[in-house]
Amino acid sequence: MNQIGPIFRALLRNKVGALLLALQIALTMTIIVNAIHMIENRSSMMARESGMDEANQFHLMYVGYKDSFNERVAVETDLLEIRKLNGVVDATQINSTPLSGGGWSMGLTTTPNSQDGTPVSLYFVDDHGLNTLGVELVAGENFSQTEVTYRLSNDKQWPQNILLTEAAAKNLFPDLTPAEMIGQTVFIRDDEPMTIKGIIDHLQAPWVQWSNVNNVMLVPQRGLWNANRYLVRTAPGERDRLMREVEELLLAKRDGRLIRNVTAMDEQRDDAYQDFFALQTVLWVIVTVLTLVTALGIVGMVSFTVNQRRKQIGTRRALGATKGDIMRQFMLENLLITGSGLIIGVASSIALNIWLVDTFSLPRIGWHYLPIAMVVLVIVGQLAVLGPARKAANLSPALATRTT
Amino acid sequence: MLKMTSVRKTFRTDTIETHALRDFDLQVEEGDFVAVTGPSGSGKTTFLNVAGLLETFDDGDYQLDGKSVQGMNDRQLAQLRNEKIGFIFQSFNLLPDLNLFDNVDVPLRYRGFNSAERKQRIEQALETVGLANRMGHYPAQLSGGQQQRVAIARALAGSPRFLLADEPTGNLDSNMASGVLDLLSEINAQGTTIIMVTHDPSLAQRAQRNIFVRDGQVTEVQTGTNIQELLQQTAQV
Repeated sequence: MNQIGPIFRALLRNKVGALLLALQIALTMTIIVNAIHMIENRSSMMARESGMDEANQFHLMYVGYKDSFNERVAVETDLLEIRKLNGVVDATQINSTPLSGGGWSMGLTTTPNSQDGTPVSLYFVDDHGLNTLGVELVAGENFSQTEVTYRLSNDKQWPQNILLTEAAAKNLFPDLTPAEMIGQTVFIRDDEPMTIKGIIDHLQAPWVQWSNVNNVMLVPQRGLWNANRYLVRTAPGERDRLMREVEELLLAKRDGRLIRNVTAMDEQRDDAYQDFFALQTVLWVIVTVLTLVTALGIVGMVSFTVNQRRKQIGTRRALGATKGDIMRQFMLENLLITGSGLIIGVASSIALNIWLVDTFSLPRIGWHYLPIAMVVLVIVGQLAVLGPARKAANLSPALATRTT
Repeated sequence: MLKMTSVRKTFRTDTIETHALRDFDLQVEEGDFVAVTGPSGSGKTTFLNVAGLLETFDDGDYQLDGKSVQGMNDRQLAQLRNEKIGFIFQSFNLLPDLNLFDNVDVPLRYRGFNSAERKQRIEQALETVGLANRMGHYPAQLSGGQQQRVAIARALAGSPRFLLADEPTGNLDSNMASGVLDLLSEINAQGTTIIMVTHDPSLAQRAQRNIFVRDGQVTEVQTGTNIQELLQQTAQV
């Protein structure tokens, strides 16, 4: 390390090449840090629990196309028959599911006609909803069979009782415990009161990128709409068989409807995060290519330098440098250039992140990314310089006496 | 202090074998100022490279300070070069991006001296060659003669047992060459052994001993022999 002073001073005499390489390293660090931050951000979003028993659930849609199709009769008989199937844990009609990307949302307030509503996503379910979804009650009670009503597409009325996720309830009543939230009144559509009957632990809204994804309200209603959806929960290992059986059961009724989109929940998860996965793949490719290009840039630059300084290397060897001294010299030189690049890189990484936060509402970068990226790039730099440095170390000291 | 016995060095390509040194015998004593002359391709530079441990040899024995160098590994050879030999090259071989202080400092850092000792040695060496007031200058800011003086300071700073000079005035005009040669004579007078390879007979005349190399072999010539004549005779043969 006692060569560092002269090496640094020599680099200052040849600023342009070193500066360009340092800037390349800074740019690489800036992009890598923010790309990995985005990758990790997407990974943590993908790792979030939907709140459901996804491995053992599926849903399907049906659409009545004949005038004779009676939605109310269909839903009542269908659900009774599905629940009786061997291996079915429970089933409910539901308007949407987590991860589906489509559904309802409304604003709830704690006082009528208030401007500051808490956005919540709505799932219309019956008294089997909790068990089918696989969510737990934290406080209060589930809906009873008698309070489940039917909702037509043009209905404006809201039932008296609702269940809320703990996250949604906390937004509305930040100072109350779940037990204290039971019986509290909330208002929908500005002034229609509803009572919180129960608090469930966790359930996601249908939209994975929604900032209020954990705010969910369960409403005790069945829809009498043209297109409806059943959610079925099965015993472990029975799902795939039951997906076929339930479809066949409904088709066998020949009552004037189409069955479509029989989808397992984990398949739906894959679909929901397909864009995330694609983005992650693209970012990984960018990170890899950029790191490789930087490494190749270092290899090229150092190889060029070694060729340019063959006689100098020979002279140093003649003056007593060991092979190790020559290797150390190039590695130290690279360390100084990489170090300068990384210092610029830290500043530009933070600057880019501030811009991304302001422009795309991404979360702030974790401070730990910076030292990790620095260590990785130092290692990449040192590995890249290893080959040319070894080549330099193997040059003959006799080069010192050659005239060219 | 330097003894070569039957040293052989052959360069081989796929088609040609060149015997650069053939049974090369030479003994140099402490305090000698030896000039090595000879026609182009006679083996002078190969001798210098072998003597300076810049190149290995194929056969024979080479003892430096009573120790055979054969079989030494790269690290040991580097250490010997650093501690015992000072090099002066025809084209000075100063490192262009280092100032004079750092240039002279190069071998001292490899030696592992502490900074105080290095500073003292550098200042003293540059003082000896008359460039102590230009330590912060870069080689490009100096004349050829001054650059060679810096190279001599660099060679001297580590207090080597002997200096190996490869055409030390080859790139200098006669005025500067004379100055450099005066300096080498002065250094030799102070007890440093010098081996100087040169093709210039007038420079060779200033050495105590003259060695003539022809076809990779040594002929010791008497002081006062007309080396120019020898070179011409060799060329005619």
